Amino acid sequence: MFFLALKNILFYKGRSITTFALTFFSTFSFIVYVAMMDGSHNSILHNALKVYVGAIEIYEKGYREIGGNEYLLYNVHKKEEILKNIEGVSSFTSRYETYGLLSSDEYSSAAMVVGINPTKEVQHSQLKNALILGEYLDGSANNCLYVGSDLAKRLHVKLDSKVSFIGSASDNSFAADIFKVCGMFKTGAYEFDSSSAFIDRGYFDTLMLSEDMASYIHVNVTDLSDVDLIQQKIQAALDDPKLEVLTWKTLMASMVEAMKVDSIFGYISISLFFVVIFFVIMIFSFINASSRLREFGTLRAIGLSSANINVLLFYEIFILSTLAIILAAPLGAYVAYYFNANPIIIEGMSETYKEYGIVSDELPLSFDLFTIAWNVGIVYLLNFLSILYPMRFINRFKPLEALKHV
Amino acid sequence: MIRLQNVNKYYYRGEEREVHALKEINLEIKKGEFSLLSGPSGCGKTTLLNAIGALDSIDSGEIYLDDMEISSLSEDARTRLRLNEMGFVFQAYNLIPVLNVEENIGFIMKLRGFDEDVIKARVQELASLLEIDTKLSSLPSTLSGGQQQRVAVARAVAPKPKIILADEPTANLDSKNSKTLMDMMRSLNEKEGISVLFASHDEYVMRYVRRIIEMNDGAIVAK
Repeated sequence: MFFLALKNILFYKGRSITTFALTFFSTFSFIVYVAMMDGSHNSILHNALKVYVGAIEIYEKGYREIGGNEYLLYNVHKKEEILKNIEGVSSFTSRYETYGLLSSDEYSSAAMVVGINPTKEVQHSQLKNALILGEYLDGSANNCLYVGSDLAKRLHVKLDSKVSFIGSASDNSFAADIFKVCGMFKTGAYEFDSSSAFIDRGYFDTLMLSEDMASYIHVNVTDLSDVDLIQQKIQAALDDPKLEVLTWKTLMASMVEAMKVDSIFGYISISLFFVVIFFVIMIFSFINASSRLREFGTLRAIGLSSANINVLLFYEIFILSTLAIILAAPLGAYVAYYFNANPIIIEGMSETYKEYGIVSDELPLSFDLFTIAWNVGIVYLLNFLSILYPMRFINRFKPLEALKHV
Repeated sequence: MIRLQNVNKYYYRGEEREVHALKEINLEIKKGEFSLLSGPSGCGKTTLLNAIGALDSIDSGEIYLDDMEISSLSEDARTRLRLNEMGFVFQAYNLIPVLNVEENIGFIMKLRGFDEDVIKARVQELASLLEIDTKLSSLPSTLSGGQQQRVAVARAVAPKPKIILADEPTANLDSKNSKTLMDMMRSLNEKEGISVLFASHDEYVMRYVRRIIEMNDGAIVAK
């Protein structure tokens, strides 16, 4: 039967070439399209994680929902010692966030002032790279303030301007100081740039009475795909029911939802494309089967069962699909691999999409063998489904009826 | 070898029986017979041939191949029966267009699981006998009608079935090719001992067969 299928493929060239070409084209484009879609999502995610949010963040329960000094983390150094021994944790840093009033000579604005360890922060965010004016915090525990560019505009301050701060210390006492603007940053995320300012923790802890305290601990992981596993390890190691260990999926839930919606629309688009491909292959198979009805009648008359005919048609589509996929899948995989290693550069993309947190013009394609495997599986499945109607059509005829078909 | 008892077949149009195509057919065809169903067009020759070949159903009666009643078999069993016990020669040759002559002749043997060596030897033997040995690698579309019909005969004969059913095998052939084909079929019948039943009103066929079963209006009028 396999031999006859092979002969049929070589004999009915029009149908074979069409099926081969469509399968090749759909496999290649599906792999590249999904690689591009996943790549852009990965890029958004990595960009977002680079800006400020961590792969994992550790909070006292209630801090994210209610906030305030009642939900600060205590004994941070001890917790950091535990984190050092957890496999998959590449780095961590604690941040002390507080909300207060920043004022220049004439203007005031509510702002989030964050005490950070400037040296460690470099591994955790793009704050240093987002510098546009002045200097990043130098780690010398001084009163230098690193201000978002849009917040600086609101306050009408320049480098070396004095900015007063009024807020509440960790013990709910009144905290006030004068900071000096030493640098300005711009991440592109307007909300962030217009409401955030950073200061060295060495200095800030003295003002806020927040030594060995933090709003949360920001954790980086060696492999983002293991984030859920590492989250569980941290939760188990800290062994404190008052703590919650959250991954980026929770921390950036709205972005995750947006990516899901984008994926759904992406798959709807590709599905429409596949519907067209599916029907074209099916129509060509049907036309071919119709034109061979007498031949099928002969085969049935001389002793082939309808199951044999189904096997014959299955082999035909299997051989054509396999040949096309064998050529298209490695090609698609290579394109995905190449552009994964050498991302596509879209000049100005970061500027256009800065509100989405894109901080790079690079768009790498995702290269994932499992994804490629299911892409190939879908194409196979569609090709096999496309032959069902022609099979049903042929088997509706009795051998004699098929023999008489002209 | 083949025995028909009170076989009736009707063609229906809607709910009503439109045509009584086979009327109380009682017939016996013995092993090695070279016989012909003869009669005017529409008399039921092909219908009877198809019923014997398990290609068509009957409405009543029984058809036996040896001692096996075949008209009541399932579709799958009838398919196996056609494959293992019968050979068919059609008016329009009905060769597999994608297979060359050698592959066409050996096709049924291959389906039945004969060894490649046995198939090859049998194909060579029949091709020589039917004088198509120079065309073994040709596709059917490149052959003349006479050559195609000889390939069809070789395909039917190759696995040595119990009976060959040939429906108007000479209808598309000129007199020379008809004569050649009948010479060859008779020679095969004598050499291989395979029963052959023709349905035809061709005089060449009538001249060659040893028994003529005459039909008229769905009934056998002379055996």
